[in-house]
Amino acid sequence: MKYSLLWFLCVYCLLINFSYSQQKFTISGTISEEKSNETLIGVNILFPEISAGTTTNEYGFYSITLPEGKYNMVVSYLGFSTIIETINLTEDIVKNFSLTEVAENLDEVIITENIEKLNIRTPQMSVNKLTSGTIKEIPVVLGESDIIKAITLLPGVTNAGEGSSGFNVRGGSADQNLILLDEATIYNSSHLFGFFSVFNPDAIKDLRLYKGGIPARYGGRVSSVLDIYQKEGNSKEFHANGGIGIVSSRLLIEGPLKKNKGSFLLGGRSSYAHLFLPLFDIKNIAYFYDLNTKLSFKLNAKNNIYLSGYFGRDVFRIKDSFENIYGNSVFNFRWNHLFSDKLFSNLSLIYSDYYYNLELGFVEFDWISGIQNFNLKYDFKYYITDKIKLQYGINSIYYKFNPGEIKPTKASSGINPFKLIDKYAFENALYVDAEHKISNHLALSYGFRLSSFYRLGQDELNIYPDNQAVVFNEDFQIYEKADPIGTKTYKRSDVIKSFHNLEPRASLAYQLTPNSSIKASYNRMSQYLHLLSNTNSPTPLDIWTPSGKYVKPQLLDQYAIGYFKNFDDNRYSLELESFYKKVKNRIDYIDGADLIANNAIEQVILNGQSRAYGLEVLFKKNEGQFKGWLAYTLSKSEQQTPGRTAIEIGINNGNWYNTPHDKTHDISFTGSYEWNSKWKINTNFLFQTGQPATFPNGQYQYNGIYIPSYNNRNADRLPAYHRLDLSLNYTPIPNKNKGFQGNWIFSIYNIYNRRNANSISFGRNTDTGKNEATRLSIFGIVPSISYNFKL
Amino acid sequence: MKKYIIIFLSLFFMSCEDVIDLSLDSAKPRLVIDASINWVKGTQGETQFIKLSLSAPYFDDIIPEASGASVTITDSNNTAYNFIEDGATGIYVNNTFLPEIGMVYHLLINYNNETYTATETLMPVVPIEFVEQKNDGGFAGDEIEIKAYYTDPKGIENFYLFEFTKTLSNSLNLEVYDDEFTDGNRIFAFHSDETLMAGDELIIRNYGISERYYEYLNILLQQTDDQSGDPFQTQPATVRGNCINQTNPDNYPFGYFRASEVDQLIYIVN
Repeated sequence: MKYSLLWFLCVYCLLINFSYSQQKFTISGTISEEKSNETLIGVNILFPEISAGTTTNEYGFYSITLPEGKYNMVVSYLGFSTIIETINLTEDIVKNFSLTEVAENLDEVIITENIEKLNIRTPQMSVNKLTSGTIKEIPVVLGESDIIKAITLLPGVTNAGEGSSGFNVRGGSADQNLILLDEATIYNSSHLFGFFSVFNPDAIKDLRLYKGGIPARYGGRVSSVLDIYQKEGNSKEFHANGGIGIVSSRLLIEGPLKKNKGSFLLGGRSSYAHLFLPLFDIKNIAYFYDLNTKLSFKLNAKNNIYLSGYFGRDVFRIKDSFENIYGNSVFNFRWNHLFSDKLFSNLSLIYSDYYYNLELGFVEFDWISGIQNFNLKYDFKYYITDKIKLQYGINSIYYKFNPGEIKPTKASSGINPFKLIDKYAFENALYVDAEHKISNHLALSYGFRLSSFYRLGQDELNIYPDNQAVVFNEDFQIYEKADPIGTKTYKRSDVIKSFHNLEPRASLAYQLTPNSSIKASYNRMSQYLHLLSNTNSPTPLDIWTPSGKYVKPQLLDQYAIGYFKNFDDNRYSLELESFYKKVKNRIDYIDGADLIANNAIEQVILNGQSRAYGLEVLFKKNEGQFKGWLAYTLSKSEQQTPGRTAIEIGINNGNWYNTPHDKTHDISFTGSYEWNSKWKINTNFLFQTGQPATFPNGQYQYNGIYIPSYNNRNADRLPAYHRLDLSLNYTPIPNKNKGFQGNWIFSIYNIYNRRNANSISFGRNTDTGKNEATRLSIFGIVPSISYNFKL
Repeated sequence: MKKYIIIFLSLFFMSCEDVIDLSLDSAKPRLVIDASINWVKGTQGETQFIKLSLSAPYFDDIIPEASGASVTITDSNNTAYNFIEDGATGIYVNNTFLPEIGMVYHLLINYNNETYTATETLMPVVPIEFVEQKNDGGFAGDEIEIKAYYTDPKGIENFYLFEFTKTLSNSLNLEVYDDEFTDGNRIFAFHSDETLMAGDELIIRNYGISERYYEYLNILLQQTDDQSGDPFQTQPATVRGNCINQTNPDNYPFGYFRASEVDQLIYIVN
């Protein structure tokens, strides 16, 4: 608390500092797209004479306070025509702009980070931005555009290969990413066990991925923040767009509720009901669907209201013996309010849940688990002067965890009904972040997040001798469950355990030349929820568990430095970044840990640590007929769970071992070439060091079966992963602005049919009686075609 | 669950599996203790075998036996049973064993001047009551599914090892069960095999086992599952049994000393 007072004081001093200079006025407003009134995020507003500037926020709002005077105001956004206006600033003014897309230049915004000089100056580093246009152009397997697959082409981002869910940022695990859809947390980002992500690219406006230097307004996960914004919907005219692919079809409709005042958006996507199951019985089904909705109301110049929702499910059924349904639902209400032309606020009330249901017909039981949360966020952005901006706010989240419930489905079932004990928690945060331009060369951003987590009362929490839920068996040199000596039932209002963490965040940018800068950042973050998963990539069945009496929150410290340069009138840019991060209390599992239907998960968890470091290079060509980027990452990601006392051996003998997402070299290239206005060629090339794996170093025979024996965890690697993809984008009637417009995408994934190992398994061939190593590769060469349309 | 996911992956996504050449590290050989006291219901249980062998490089065809050891089991009444090696086979036999439910047994092995010990209690088991057969099981509806029913004793923790042996091919399938969600109920052990055919003889055995053995075998079976290494698989690791090398603890043995009552049922597939 002492620290936070100090911070407040600093900020307060700064406020005073800036409040008594010469006469100043504020210019503020909203910037939107001309045809749809869709607000634009990250539009640059520049005043070249005094080299001042700002950008629009997530809701398209900007505000800047400048000394009285006459200025040229330049409003620019890549892919849109630039507006230059002369402003006579003699009083506070509101100035809204509508930008029009550059007709002959259909170029979508590729990553806009650092394209403009302004971004070289802002202290924010380690962030990548993609628009849905870019994402849709990247060649993908089976022609399904995918946000998660697109971000894995960025430096520092990988995933566990085909058929794995989630993504890994800078050596972190998938559960360490905060995924926000219109500010609501998404707990499971994948469909069909990871082949597709839950985000419908048609409904997405843009997204940002923060890999480091994470601003104080984000918290709760230690690795990255993927912040995704849905479109608001066109408030001028009715429009529809959609697509037909070989896996799924999409349709999105949008239009005004009241012209220029309100809009709706309704998007749906569904895979075909018997996806990939033509060979079998009609009783087998596998499909997914999702729905995105949004209603936006412009109440008046100072108030906007948004209601948005997401609902998605995966359904997988094998006759009457197996049924699996899971997915996310999100509902949120947001209220943008301008307290003044300098003070923007957003209040969000969010409900989100993740539901998992498994019915095993042949054993006659039904399993349901999930997580529900209620989230309140109140964020403020205070545009104090052109030199200093302040963001602050509060965030409270109430969680209910259902670790699982088993119900027999028939009277004849041999399964007893059983309910695992629900867990409850309350997470709070208070944050302040200042963006401070010290001089024309130096800009700082500094702030903190004060987070707290209360594990609330539950029924029957186990009590262990010496509070040790895991004991070490010295004779057999293994970890075992401790026997509880009793249980304690708490009232729901009791706090079983609380945690408080001060998370300082700071970054700076120093401009070396008009086209280059260096940046540095430090951030501390805490994560109070853990995804229980001891597989290489998360599965839909995995369960989230809160920190508490026996499980400590993860704490991260990350340092990053970088060099940023624009060349040749911003046609090219180069980003070099290096990072080091360390996570305390990374959970690890004792051998044979059973994570599902376990009421005492603390009995199988040990606290360890992890670290990662690396170098990232991103070289981009931002404009012209050919655009694209080349990314290279050199990194190391390791984990260690040492023994708690001298006699304990820890996991993997207490030695550091590679995490499953340690990829030494990661190269990705993505490019698009606009042949003419009808044809466009896109290509990807990826190369990654093989994923760490554990191979046997011996075998033995026991009880009539042959058993591989393993030694050091993740000491081996799968063969290197590489592939080349190509797609052709054909627009028969380009530049058609009215009416129906169609567009074909022909793509070939893994063009040279590389059999990348998804895994190598070891087993005995029963026919030959010999042990074998078997490689599983998921996609060979996959051609596909999809058709998209706009109306 | 995992099995279904893998089937799902392989069927729908043009995936393919192929055998590859791989060079693997080789750890130094360890003693493997395959010591199971099995007392089949309705027999005297006087003949018991203990098998000792050595671990070998993964791709080797031959598993060397551990010959020339001295093997003794002592019960808590201090009755000692000496196991005599049958030739140089690594199989040690005793023909005068007197099994007793709930009795604690101590195993003592001396091999290569190192002493190995283990202790286990002989666990009782309930009988297999009947078998149900379904012919349209599995994902594609062409597998024979076998359910072997038994009634779990109420109010006590029980653990089971089921062994399904196809007599013809001598192929073995092991399953372990606990009673966490089935306490006191009639429940079944499940076996599904696409190679089963009408007329096949199946020997179904139900062994009473200890909790620690259940945990041990559970991990072991996960690691022998031919899906090891897939993205849904847990991290493989060294699996330690209940045998300790008293002379040189770092040179720990593999295997387990188990003592079980066994119920056996021979089923002819319809």
